[in-house]
Amino acid sequence: MESPREDQLTADLRALRPAPRPEFAAELDQRAAAGFPRRSRLGKKGAPAFLTSMRDKRPAHPRRLLLTAGGLALTTVAVATVLVVSNEDEPTHGVVAQAVEHAKPKRNFDGAGPYVPSRGTAGAASSSEQGSGVQYEAEVETAPSASSAKQIVPFSQESPSFNSSFGARHRDVERSAEITLGAEPDDVADDAAKVFEAVHAHDGIVMRSSTHEGKAGEAGATFELLIPSAKLGDALAAFSQIDAVRSRHEATADITAPTVSAAELLKESRARIDSLLGQLEEAETESEREAIEVELQHERRHASRLAAQLDHLHRRADFSRVYLRIATGESNESSGGGAWGVDDALGDAGHILAVAAAVAVVALAILGPIALIAFLAWLTHRAWVRRERRRVLS
Amino acid sequence: MDGELPRSKGMDQALVAEASEAPRAADLAFDRLYRSSRDDLYAYVASLLRDATAAEEVTAAAFERAYRKRHRFDPERGEPRAWLFGIARNAALDELRRRGRQTELTAEPADLQDFGAAEGAEQSERRLAVSAALERLAPGERELIALKFFAGLGNAEIAQVLGISESNAGTKLHRAMTKLREACDGIA
Repeated sequence: MESPREDQLTADLRALRPAPRPEFAAELDQRAAAGFPRRSRLGKKGAPAFLTSMRDKRPAHPRRLLLTAGGLALTTVAVATVLVVSNEDEPTHGVVAQAVEHAKPKRNFDGAGPYVPSRGTAGAASSSEQGSGVQYEAEVETAPSASSAKQIVPFSQESPSFNSSFGARHRDVERSAEITLGAEPDDVADDAAKVFEAVHAHDGIVMRSSTHEGKAGEAGATFELLIPSAKLGDALAAFSQIDAVRSRHEATADITAPTVSAAELLKESRARIDSLLGQLEEAETESEREAIEVELQHERRHASRLAAQLDHLHRRADFSRVYLRIATGESNESSGGGAWGVDDALGDAGHILAVAAAVAVVALAILGPIALIAFLAWLTHRAWVRRERRRVLS
Repeated sequence: MDGELPRSKGMDQALVAEASEAPRAADLAFDRLYRSSRDDLYAYVASLLRDATAAEEVTAAAFERAYRKRHRFDPERGEPRAWLFGIARNAALDELRRRGRQTELTAEPADLQDFGAAEGAEQSERRLAVSAALERLAPGERELIALKFFAGLGNAEIAQVLGISESNAGTKLHRAMTKLREACDGIA
């Protein structure tokens, strides 16, 4: 029970109660009736000063921030998935494969002169290789007249010696392919004959072949072929026409560096031979002449080895190795050339899901720690704000 | 919404239940909460900030913030008025913190004191003494008195707003009133 003095104090306190201005009360009532529209919208229509002044103070809604962050993360994952999937759809060996895809053959290989990597760019290399000797010309004889797989590509990663020797940017690319054809046991012999025809038609070489007759699963044939790289695409297309394609794989390898290195060393070796020949002519004593001849012999052997090495590298670029198999019976491999079916679709879907899951894991690995740090920062900020609020009234 | 606004001491749980049933019900419940709390909230905020303009801004911001969060209000966690005053308290303290006006809590709120003209001289003098005594109280004590007598909250609601127990709120309020009385006596 309050004493009269207590009642009086209570009444006095209530009388001291601050009251809002009628104008403010009316404005607030208006806003309440309109469902408290956002101040940004009010601002355009000339909102009251007390409302517009608060426009920039309102913190962003946590749920909206969460949605924005979620959307951003989802977009990142989606873009990463698309990038990964599209990269996987491209041919293997990335840059080299792209080079093979887009560049045109540029190598000038006339079959008589020394190897000239590119039209109008041989320069010093061409002139210094004039006296290259027997070995180098022999290489030309064994190589076909077809243009090789040496190509100009827009790269800039060659060594200085490479640029100085060749004056342009070249790539020596070795290509290989594997193709498996599915056939009935009775068709194996016919298909094998067609393979020989196709190889001949494309100036290729059959390195090895074997044919087996028998029941489905036993009958078959295997071929190890060398096909001029420039004609590889046509040859593979021809092989694909022979029977149903069960699988087909192509690969490329950049052998520019060893080729350039061998060419440089050969050039130096030949220059050394020329120099020794000059010294031999000028030699006055027999012992001096003998010493030079020994050295000359050694240098010629060295040049010969280098020429053979270079020859081998050129062959690898000029000729593509193709492994062709004619198989009979059921195939466990998914068909690369057959009709795209439900199994393929399921396989592709599984693959895409696996890639997406992998990307999601990577994204989580990145976003997880960020989210944890953000959460800890939020907790710290919240604790700090609470402490500051307490301090205000302390 | 003009005119006499009813006090909301007796806001029942049914109103809160409506808020969780449907958006429309939540709007109606909030409308009732607004009607019953507008002046009380302003009075409380103004007593904290001691600045009429800032009090208007913070009151409007608190109502807007509460309106945006109305669907998230959990009746099991307390009274709607306590929830609303909690939002307003945070907004007011943030405003004080942001402006660095803590010192002004002890300043004379000249623009809030407008009484005495129509009152008797004795009553006017007494109220001036009460007002001066209020200024001698610590900010926390003054806030308790504002919540009790300006905003009209019960001890349970005050406890919810301040995040303390109801008995603790009652004890603190009693101490604040005792100090206020002593300050009044001292001034008299």
